[in-house]
Amino acid sequence: MNLVAHVIRQAANAAGLLLAVLVLNFCLIHLTPGDPAQVMAGEMGGASPEVMAALRVKYGLDHSLAEQLLTYLSKVATGDFGYSYYFNEPVVGLIAQRLPATLYLVLSALLLSVLIGTLLGVVSARRPNGLFSQAVTVLSLAGYAAPIFWTGLMLLLLFGSVWPVLPVSGMADVVTPKTGLAYAIDVARHLVLPSSTLALVFIAQYSRLARVNMIDALAADYVRTARAKGLPEYVVVGKHALRNTLIPIVTVAGLQFGQLFAGAVLVETIFSWPGMGRLVFESILRRDYPTLLAILFFSAVLVMAANIVTDLVYRLIDPRIRSGAP
Amino acid sequence: MSRTEKPAMPEPGSVLPATPTASPAMAALRQFARSPSGVIGAAVLLTLVAITAFGPFFYPIDPLDIVGAPFTAPGADAWLGTDYLGRDELAGLIHGGRATLTVGAVAAVITIVIGVTIGALGGFFGGAIAALLGKITEFFQILPPLLFAMVLVTLFGQTLTTITIAIGAVSWPTAARLTRAEFLRLRGLDFVKASRAAGAGNGHLILRVVLPNALPPVIVAATLAIGVAILFEGGLSFLGLGDPNTMSWGLMIGENRNYVLDGWWTVTFPGAAIFVAVLAISLIGDGINDALNPRLRRRS
Amino acid sequence: MSSIVSKLAFALTVTLAAAALRALPARAGDGGTVVIATTQAPRHFNGAVQSGLATALPSTQIFASPLRYDDNWNPKPYLAESWQTAPDGLSITLKLVKNAVFHDGHPVTSEDVAFSIMAIKANHPFQSMLAAVEKVDTPDPYTAVIRLSYPHPALLLAMSPALMPILPKHIYGDGQDLKSHPANLKPVGSGPFRLTDYKQGEYYTLEKFDRFFIPGRPRLDKIVVRIISDPNAALVSLERGDVNVLPFVTGVRDIDRLEKTPNVYVTSKGFAGIGALNWLAFNTRKKPLDDVRVRQAIGFAANRDFIINKLMGGKATAATGPIAPGSPLAEPDVEAYKFDLARAEQLLDAAGYPKKPDGSRLSLTIDYIPGADEQQRNIAEYLRSQLKRAGINLEVRAAADFPTWAQRISTYDFDMTMDTVFNWGDPVIGVDRTYLSSNIRKGIIWSNTQQYSNPKVDELLAAAARETSPEKRKALYSEFQKIVVSDAPIFYINATPYYNAFSKGLSGLPTTIWGLMSPLDELYWETPPKT
Repeated sequence: MNLVAHVIRQAANAAGLLLAVLVLNFCLIHLTPGDPAQVMAGEMGGASPEVMAALRVKYGLDHSLAEQLLTYLSKVATGDFGYSYYFNEPVVGLIAQRLPATLYLVLSALLLSVLIGTLLGVVSARRPNGLFSQAVTVLSLAGYAAPIFWTGLMLLLLFGSVWPVLPVSGMADVVTPKTGLAYAIDVARHLVLPSSTLALVFIAQYSRLARVNMIDALAADYVRTARAKGLPEYVVVGKHALRNTLIPIVTVAGLQFGQLFAGAVLVETIFSWPGMGRLVFESILRRDYPTLLAILFFSAVLVMAANIVTDLVYRLIDPRIRSGAP
Repeated sequence: MSRTEKPAMPEPGSVLPATPTASPAMAALRQFARSPSGVIGAAVLLTLVAITAFGPFFYPIDPLDIVGAPFTAPGADAWLGTDYLGRDELAGLIHGGRATLTVGAVAAVITIVIGVTIGALGGFFGGAIAALLGKITEFFQILPPLLFAMVLVTLFGQTLTTITIAIGAVSWPTAARLTRAEFLRLRGLDFVKASRAAGAGNGHLILRVVLPNALPPVIVAATLAIGVAILFEGGLSFLGLGDPNTMSWGLMIGENRNYVLDGWWTVTFPGAAIFVAVLAISLIGDGINDALNPRLRRRS
Repeated sequence: MSSIVSKLAFALTVTLAAAALRALPARAGDGGTVVIATTQAPRHFNGAVQSGLATALPSTQIFASPLRYDDNWNPKPYLAESWQTAPDGLSITLKLVKNAVFHDGHPVTSEDVAFSIMAIKANHPFQSMLAAVEKVDTPDPYTAVIRLSYPHPALLLAMSPALMPILPKHIYGDGQDLKSHPANLKPVGSGPFRLTDYKQGEYYTLEKFDRFFIPGRPRLDKIVVRIISDPNAALVSLERGDVNVLPFVTGVRDIDRLEKTPNVYVTSKGFAGIGALNWLAFNTRKKPLDDVRVRQAIGFAANRDFIINKLMGGKATAATGPIAPGSPLAEPDVEAYKFDLARAEQLLDAAGYPKKPDGSRLSLTIDYIPGADEQQRNIAEYLRSQLKRAGINLEVRAAADFPTWAQRISTYDFDMTMDTVFNWGDPVIGVDRTYLSSNIRKGIIWSNTQQYSNPKVDELLAAAARETSPEKRKALYSEFQKIVVSDAPIFYINATPYYNAFSKGLSGLPTTIWGLMSPLDELYWETPPKT
């Protein structure tokens, strides 16, 4: 199967879906009563009808929905996502500012959850009925059931007032901004709590998944053969069983990108993490159409990208597919 | 057991014969009773339901009423303390459970109904219908659920009804994929072909032949969907999009969010309540999974 | 030899003396930088076409205005060194200072003043502010005569820095639309500071204008305004001294926390001019609120003291009428609607809403401005619990965003709503709009959305707007307030508790009625921070 052709086909599919996302959300948002001219009037402490009419003309709000949609789409095609009414800057710039923060959060949580989840699952699979294994099962159930926002708030309480060893808000020190390596360490320190909170739910899921698959894998024929051949244990586990355990985890992880993103919104709110999640919040409150649309669009893009990447990785590491089956 | 075998499902006809009688359900129930996690979960959930259903009669304080000074710590005046307005936390927990659990259940029903319908139709018919339904499913899947639900609630108002429908409307893709996979697998099996050869129409085939056999994973998914919906409602309320006229556990957390450092009890208790409820539901889901998929039992 | 030495000595002395005379002696405390934190990024820097707090802060540093105000509502000279109202009240003559120049060196003349006034009249969101102005004559470069079609005492307050920035005609008079003029982002004014750096959404820098027309001012070298959208981060920055001024602090807990911080000074002075009122408004044309007894009953049933003392931690001042308590025109002798549940129930009975067997009398909805929890949402939720005691069932309608709320209220789709409205100094600017029958305009937020109409009130307001005698004016407004409070289209709750927080060590603090929305030329470091 030609990998390139496959990717291209997926990309085309993605483009179509993303267009649909834009159109749907545009129509939805514009259906709500009221408009951004009122937001601006609100900021100004009131405005005369003439001023509001002038604002509407300026921002093109006096045209029909279809016209506005077409204008919007044509601008998006050139990379212009419009101008944020509230933040007063081009939306693309705004998102470019906030996106990295969310990516740090989401990717670190993903990494953390896959690594720790797999580790826990693999170790507990060696002795499926042992104490460790049962503890892992219980903890993973608990981790899954605890609401993210609750865990986050509890951690905030713990590290905010009881045991203040970690920063509980923001991404970096605003008081004495650092640069270079010190900055990276500062960000990492601020990342600990939000990232752990976000990762917890997924650690729970992946450890269960890893455990189940590992048990399965260890009981497989070829593993028994490898053991019989006298191969060292770590080769058996590491090379063969692990690879087959990772495949479903990677698949699931990729598909859950959307949920990671949703969790990020909650976590960012709790820990004042300056990412896109909080931007959603603020732009909904201010009816900042352009920003809101752009966020919905870019999150869909990220999810699609995650799907495509997952699919690619899956194809690369699953030997059965690599060998040419369509 | 070789890895290439698909996860085992009960053989068609072994659990649910073509003419269902009471005994397979009883058999499943008995299996369920043998799973410790399932039983514990069911017990906890029943307790919660009982508290929220009957508690208000024994503790009739209106959770929206101001009963004392704001931020009273748990103690003699208010057993679990008061919140930022001076409303009773215990009343909030007891009364609020109704809203939270109801939203969870109804949203799960919506999710399953939509998801199963779309998945079944797509998996059964194949071809253009499947392609179209598949695209729709994929479209809803790439929309980040929380964000889109936020937009819907903003649009249609912050009431429990809107929230419930919004949750249902964004959560169905998983159920759809699951059902579709099952239908795809089952429609090619012999017993289905036999039924069709015997003259069964599509409707009969879908509803009375294939669907009953596709149910086991669907039931598990439905159970877990309740838990997901409860967490979702909590998340929306947390972000300030909850229904302000009906106390729910999520609303308690959301309204007191900014005051966590002033009164830890205002968010700790409702959060714990959500946690217990979702945990219980997950355990029940596990138990059902064990009961309906006996061959997988040794794995957990 | 000695003659050369003495000549040299003489030359040296002369040089030194000349140098000494040219340089003004620098006072202790001059110089330095002050960092101000703000949560809202300004759309641009031209306060002539945009009102609102975000623009007013920079605009009042960059642009000067004819007048400025002190703590006691007295106008003080600024660009106008003197002013004279004609006896018939139909004109005001401003005599401008002669040494004011714009940041680009052009002198400030009456042409600029005339141009600015007409531009503001045409573009500013508050149309009533300059509606009476017909034209501005400029008999000579330093005299401007503002001609009015009727007497307009509010004009004096309308000449405050936040409301009448004087724009350079040679830049703005090129025919482009002022609202989107490129100079709005590269402003040239005659105020104490120039805009030297601007990073959108992050910060902007204002530097001392060396040729500012008031000698010895401004005392600071630089002001940096940092945009910190997270209020918590802004607080922390102030506490740690990274930021020196935090304006418009309004959360009870935040204020408490800052008051306890050792190196921070908190004051509630500086907001009298804005006159921000927090209130509960009724839709007076919707049953059952069209009956004044029902409205009054709600006033008596709501416990203002509890709201202020318990929900706002005592940090707010009670408000009992349409004019904010800090204004010299406020009339304290009005019906205060002190909490009286029995009276409330009596009124409801009399209005024909007896208590039904289940204890309720009627059901209403209440809205509030989203995003303002402490001043709006909390009170709405409190009222639900409180009014239930009088038999009124409230349903709280949450709006997810501002336009949804604004749309509902401005199209009269509401029973009661919480609201926050600013007086903006003179009643003509910010008060009339709420009570005039002529301002019942559908679709416009913060017009007379209560649909209140009382011909006597219209009469009083029209007369007071034109009354030039201060005593008579006060009497007219006094009667107006008494009538409005007893008509109860609105239940007044509190003056929004705004506080400014400063690093200790700063002096010359902006505590006039306009607070930080006026030039900071007197601000200085009495005790500079240790570096």
